[in-house]
Amino acid sequence: MRRIVLRSIAAANVTLVLVAGLEAARRPHYGGELRVEMRAAVASLDPALVPDDPAALGAQRQWMPFVFETLVSLDDHGRAQPWLATSWSHDTARKAWIFQVRKSVKLHDGSIWSPPGGTIIIPDDRPIEQILRDLAGPRSAVIVKAEDGSLLGTGPFRIAKWEAGKTATLVAHDQYWGGRPFLDSISLQMGRSLVDQASDFQIGRADAVEIATRDLRAAKQRGTAMASTQQMETMALQFEGGRVTASVRQALSLSIDRAAILNVLLQKQGEISGALLPHWLTGYSFLFPGERDLARAKQAVRGPQTLTFAYDRQDPVIRPVAERIGVNASETGITLRQGAGSIDVRLVRFPITANDAWLALQDLSALLKVAPPSPLATPYEAEKALIDSSGVIPLFHLPRGWMLSSRVKNWPRFEEVWLDAGAAQ
Amino acid sequence: MTFRTKLLFISSFTVAGAVALVTGAVSISTRRAFDSIDHERREALLTQFRDELAARSMEVARRVELAASSPGVQQIAAGSAEYDRAQTEAATAGLDFLDVVEPNLTIVSSAHWPARFGYQNDWQMAPTDWRTSDVFLARIPMPEGSAMALIAVRPVAGGKALAAGGRRLSPELLKSLGVAPGMRALLWLPPGEVIDAEGSVRDPQKLASLIQDARSANGEATGFVQWTSDRRSSEAFLAVPITRAGTLTGVLLAGTSLSTQLGLERSILRTGIVVGASGIVIGVLLGWWTTERITRPVERLAAGARAVAAGDLSARVEVLSRDEIGELAQTFNRMTEQLLEQRERAIQAERVAAWRELARRLAHELKNPLFPLQITIENLQRARDSSEFDEVFRESTTTLLAELGNLKNIIGRFSDFAKMPAPRFEIVDVNQIVRGVMTLNDARLKAEGHAKVEPHLELASGGAQIQADPDQLRRALGNLVLNALDAMPDGGKLLVRTAQHDGGVRLEVSDSGEGLTEEECQRLFTPYYTTKQHGTGLGLAIVQSVVSDHHGKISVSSAAGRGTTFTIDLPLTQADAIVVTGDSA
Repeated sequence: MRRIVLRSIAAANVTLVLVAGLEAARRPHYGGELRVEMRAAVASLDPALVPDDPAALGAQRQWMPFVFETLVSLDDHGRAQPWLATSWSHDTARKAWIFQVRKSVKLHDGSIWSPPGGTIIIPDDRPIEQILRDLAGPRSAVIVKAEDGSLLGTGPFRIAKWEAGKTATLVAHDQYWGGRPFLDSISLQMGRSLVDQASDFQIGRADAVEIATRDLRAAKQRGTAMASTQQMETMALQFEGGRVTASVRQALSLSIDRAAILNVLLQKQGEISGALLPHWLTGYSFLFPGERDLARAKQAVRGPQTLTFAYDRQDPVIRPVAERIGVNASETGITLRQGAGSIDVRLVRFPITANDAWLALQDLSALLKVAPPSPLATPYEAEKALIDSSGVIPLFHLPRGWMLSSRVKNWPRFEEVWLDAGAAQ
Repeated sequence: MTFRTKLLFISSFTVAGAVALVTGAVSISTRRAFDSIDHERREALLTQFRDELAARSMEVARRVELAASSPGVQQIAAGSAEYDRAQTEAATAGLDFLDVVEPNLTIVSSAHWPARFGYQNDWQMAPTDWRTSDVFLARIPMPEGSAMALIAVRPVAGGKALAAGGRRLSPELLKSLGVAPGMRALLWLPPGEVIDAEGSVRDPQKLASLIQDARSANGEATGFVQWTSDRRSSEAFLAVPITRAGTLTGVLLAGTSLSTQLGLERSILRTGIVVGASGIVIGVLLGWWTTERITRPVERLAAGARAVAAGDLSARVEVLSRDEIGELAQTFNRMTEQLLEQRERAIQAERVAAWRELARRLAHELKNPLFPLQITIENLQRARDSSEFDEVFRESTTTLLAELGNLKNIIGRFSDFAKMPAPRFEIVDVNQIVRGVMTLNDARLKAEGHAKVEPHLELASGGAQIQADPDQLRRALGNLVLNALDAMPDGGKLLVRTAQHDGGVRLEVSDSGEGLTEEECQRLFTPYYTTKQHGTGLGLAIVQSVVSDHHGKISVSSAAGRGTTFTIDLPLTQADAIVVTGDSA
């Protein structure tokens, strides 16, 4: 029994910038397995299963479009482009939209994905921009449940093996409507620390590994083959338990010397911000101040405060920033004490899962466990409401970086990546 | 308390006191010896401590110098190294702490707290001028609290920056001293941390007064600390302050456990107690034996004296020794012999006197009837030839018979006194006896021609029952009442009183007559002594005999013109008496 599930999702198209010098003059050729390692441990690519772990959500949103596709996709500017749907129009009453689907699209099991009549009718009288944005979101991906329970998509890769949180193998979809990808397969190793990834990369056991933000500049200076993205992460302080008052949160935010952290600890990789979404995505992040004001911070906090502070000590980006925040906070009389049990504040990295503000805010609201933003509000209003309701303190927007072996070409769109067999590993 | 008990106490306390004194003296001398030795050991440990600290200071200075000249620190000073590069350089130089700071002490890179870059170094107790300082003690802030360290500062790149590095003052330093068992070295660090070879010391505030003493004296101070309620946890300390430019940066402490000393003192005390207790036991036994030897002759003397007091003048004391006690016994024996001789002489004299008195009384008593007899017989002889012989004969024989009757009566009274029977005891009410006697004399009290005597009875309420012979008691009381009536020829007041007294019954008979002289009172109970012209002198002797047979006492008190009172005290019961009940009587 085959069932088509339409879900709205904003494409988490990662706008990766290819690092100069890696573009080979040779022509692409097919074959090979791309070995990728990452810190996140993703349980499933099913968009219906939204992980609590921000890193896992980010990785899911990154990899899902290569397996499960949507009717439309958003380009780098957030504009809807035809994808599985080639065109759309409304009915005469303007009460429904009719999407013409692409012909000869085959599912991963080789069967043809063909909605009745070759069209999908969506009764919705909202503006088409909103509808298209929803259709580009992960929840609107085309997923067909096979008789054996497995999920079938139409993307350039199919899931050949998935061991939740550990390893996965994505195999090229030979009958992909856009043409078979160059790679035969992609091997994913999940839950690997940055140290382990670097080690595997050094001994040639991985083709692409993550690199800490602070090491991006040094890697560039060393001429290491690598790729980095725009700011695709938001480092922020997330409060839990509702025990920390607004004045203490404000004092903590004002006490943090973001400039020193960015310049020294993050090696100027990223940008200071008091907004959840980066400036490149919204254009208004400057409206959320992030300057340090120690005098106001001391005024805001009354008497010594001790907060239980948590962060991932194995994360080489998080740990030094957290320690610095602890030093800054102590100047205002706030002691951030590491401890287990009931946590007051946690330093986390939230992924920017889409190049559309609304879609990104939806995932952020899920991670912050607050209600999603109102579709009637402007993105600024929605983001401000999200910050106010969750109490989160955004600190920085950080890029993501990958170290790539010399044989990896055309990173990061995996349907176009190919491996140069002649290059040294 | 007997003399023997006193002697036992004295001997026991003497032994115990001697043992206590010896124990105390030994304890004090032991403590002084321990104190002296421990003080020397603590001083030696402190010297060793200071030497080790100096050696470590030199080592720290050398390592910091090495780090300051390393390329890595030079790069940090030049601003071309990562913010946490000092960690690598500190590890290379073997330093626990390393801060590369700008001349204004702003941290460029910190090994032990990388996140503090950009902050000014504010190490507590750090000297003002770092460049000229030697190795010094400082409290280094850490992410989790702070730590004390030996710190040295050396310039980097010609003074563009400073490398301040050091090593933690850890328990390992104290452990390396290799102190003797029972001793330990401690280091007090401001504001109040105390470490020893095992780590942080619990309850460091107990050392506060000692630290204060050392600080005030700015030199050595000694003191004791008892860590727990157990005295054996006590330690003696010698404290020496470490100062820099007048600021206290630490205090070295050498401690000696007092458990061994206290254990020895306790052992001495325990031994003293055991020896003292044994001494007391032995003292008691010896004292018992000694006092037995001393007090036995004394007790025999006392027993002899009691026997003499009881009238047994034949009592003698065995002479067991030739010492003072023996001489006393001999003297006692001589005394009793003399007393016995004197008593026998007195008895003999009294017997003679009694016989003389008896003879006098007999002569007196017999002389009275004999004279009429002689006259009567002479009348009969003269009237033999007279015509009135028959008349004279009849009158003379009548007179003769009457006087013979008198003689017989006199002889009978003497015979009765001589034949005084043994009393037969039974339960009698003295009040009833008194009433009966007063009834018998009622006729005489009311007789015409006699002066008026007013009887008064004051009898014990609730009765006055005793074991007594009612006939003898009645006879004795009757004699006293008759004497009282005879003592009041001109009338007066007769008072008979009974009362419970001293576990028995007191009987008093008082008259309001002229009274007796003292001599009369003394001789009153002598048989055949009387103050009356017609008395036989046997009445009060009989009374005394009855009272004596009833194991009672009789006394007389009299004053001239105020009458005489006879007082008889009788016991309630008679020892070894066969009491005759009403049925058997």
